[in-house]
Amino acid sequence: MFRHIFTYRLKSLLRDRTTIFWTIMFPIILAVFFHLALSNLGKADSFEPIDIAVIDNVQYREDQSFSMTLEEASKGEDRLFNLKVVSEDEAKKLLEDGAIKGYIEAGSSINLVIMESGLSQSIIKSFIDTYTQTVSAVKTIISSNPEKAQEVLNSIAHRENYIKEVSATASEPDVVLNFFYSLIAMACFYGGFLGLRVINDTQADISSLAARINVAPVHKIKTFIYSMSAALLIHIVETFTLLAFLRYVLNIDFGSKTGYVLLTTILGSVAGVFMGALISAMVKKSEAMKVAILLAVTMGGSFLAGMMVGEMKYIVAQNLPALSYINPINLLTDALYSLYYYDSLSRYFTNMAILAAYILIFGLGTHLIVRRRKYARL
Amino acid sequence: MVVNVKKLVKRYDDLIALDHLSFSVKEGEVFGLLGPNGSGKTTAINCILSLLKYDKGEIEIFNKPMSPTAYDIKRDIGIVMQNVAVYEELTVYENIDYFCGLYINDKILRKDYVEDAIKFVGLEDYKKFTPKKLSGGLLRRLNIACGIAHKPKLIILDEPTVAVDPQSRNKILEGIEEMNRQGATVIYTSHYMEEVEQICSRILIIDKGKAVATGTKEELKEMITLGEKITIEAYGVPEKSINSLRDLPNISSVEYKESILKIKALKGKNNLESVLEFIKNENIQFANIYSELPTLNDVFLEITGKELRD
Ligand SMILES: Nc1ncnc2c1ncn2[C@@H]1O[C@H](COP(=O)(O)OP(=O)(O)O)[C@@H](O)[C@H]1O
Ligand SMILES: [Mg+2]
Repeated sequence: MFRHIFTYRLKSLLRDRTTIFWTIMFPIILAVFFHLALSNLGKADSFEPIDIAVIDNVQYREDQSFSMTLEEASKGEDRLFNLKVVSEDEAKKLLEDGAIKGYIEAGSSINLVIMESGLSQSIIKSFIDTYTQTVSAVKTIISSNPEKAQEVLNSIAHRENYIKEVSATASEPDVVLNFFYSLIAMACFYGGFLGLRVINDTQADISSLAARINVAPVHKIKTFIYSMSAALLIHIVETFTLLAFLRYVLNIDFGSKTGYVLLTTILGSVAGVFMGALISAMVKKSEAMKVAILLAVTMGGSFLAGMMVGEMKYIVAQNLPALSYINPINLLTDALYSLYYYDSLSRYFTNMAILAAYILIFGLGTHLIVRRRKYARL
Repeated sequence: MVVNVKKLVKRYDDLIALDHLSFSVKEGEVFGLLGPNGSGKTTAINCILSLLKYDKGEIEIFNKPMSPTAYDIKRDIGIVMQNVAVYEELTVYENIDYFCGLYINDKILRKDYVEDAIKFVGLEDYKKFTPKKLSGGLLRRLNIACGIAHKPKLIILDEPTVAVDPQSRNKILEGIEEMNRQGATVIYTSHYMEEVEQICSRILIIDKGKAVATGTKEELKEMITLGEKITIEAYGVPEKSINSLRDLPNISSVEYKESILKIKALKGKNNLESVLEFIKNENIQFANIYSELPTLNDVFLEITGKELRD
């Protein structure tokens, strides 16, 4: 009987396009979307040239290779800088007024003066560093082939070289990772859609289909468990697929504790599927209401765990610490995060213990409803 | 006794859906549960199946008390629900195989049973279709096949012909008679008296959860005073003639509207003849004339004072 029910439930659930969309396609699409949005920082076409100034002093005028390189970097459509050549006083004023991000002063070495740090400032700094490093190498070429030398220097003026490098280190790694970790957590809880369907096909006061199964000579709880196994298997494979996609296609780093990462998603999937089951069993008839609650809990939880706004997770942790522990999606997100970030597993285990408690509550609640065999009304 | 229902009471809050309903179904019968919408047919079926909690009463099936865990009883019951209950994502074949498999473990035997069921409802050409691609009538037939594939001894069908085209309806009714010939006991609920009259060997009429009358259709018709209904297309019948027609022996009522004369006669012989004679004597011009025996609708009308069909 297990084989019979299990395989047919696998078939029917796998062919349920809506459920499959929400449980695997949607998270993958969202991941790609995140990926594009986050890596857009490094895309040439979204880049605005940085306003800078250079002090018009003797050293600058005499250091022809630097002035030519800087001017090269400030020319054309895809220029790196909007350059102003001004006096020192003017440069200071421009910086104070916020009209420029920084100014460059050529002396014995090339210096950058800035007011605050940020992506633009990092790019200017990176440009100067690259120039200084390249210059010594170039000096050799200058002596042998002066025309070629400026070509080499001009090539370092291309913006792609800086933006990629800088943006990779400039955005906080934990915020970016947290986006994806909370996405995985969300995907786990979208397994609720599968649990929801299983209950719809189990409780006769929800569907005629369930009524038909209820009158068959099979143990109700067994039928439920067999169906649930099919749903769980599907969902665990789905979340593993998502993990593989994030890891190997989008190159998201999960740290080295792979076994724990897999365990986390398995438990997350179980929690998600059972949460959907409990919601379905409690709400009974209204399908729209079930989906609304499921989406509200999952999307709300994901939001608070930092899926849409990276800082949200920290805002919640600082102002409403209890909520971080109540929000099951944050528990999962934080579990993955602590696997990546900490060597000690204590924070991870705290998260998982609370998650296990959730599984127990969802499972027990569902069981209490499903074990009743007669209904007051259909 | 295949089914024995004793003094069944079911309440939905303040509404008494079944009011001390008692009836029994004997082996080999096609038992009809006839009543208007909302009379409690589905409620009664769901109580019998132990799906619904009920407030009072006893239900025995195959002479054993029915309960949700009475698997030996359930094994021999086939149920066709009022609403189509199939998996949207499974094909016709898979659906029937799934439900049959809840009763029949033996795979080889099951294969035969599923094929039999498909043939039985005439879905041979649709085995690989999903339910969405079936018309209303074919979907109903699939719904039936899912309920009866395991060859149960007792088949319960709850309004299986609602919203079905005449062709599918006939196929379904013939199928029920065939299953009965092969030995199955059938409980059939409907609010269509024609169907019940056509296939049921015994009928229980219910209204507002109460048993109103029970018996074969002949017995039911015997219970009422109406003998026959005579309809005459007659022109310009004067009021005086209508009144004297009413005074004829054995005539219970006369109505005259838009050149149609409707006469109800009590049970007795030669009603039609005496009416015809009267019309001729009065020199009333008439065209068509026909006489009908009472239907179950008349039975229902006379007992409850309202029409069966709403
Ligand atoms: N789930 C329910 N909740 C409340 N009342 C119900 C419910 N199901 C049926 N009823 C009421 O019980 C009565 C009998 O309904 P039902 O058994 O469906 O009648 P039938 O099958 O003969 O059309 C109706 O008045 C109906 O409104
Ligand atoms: Mg009904």
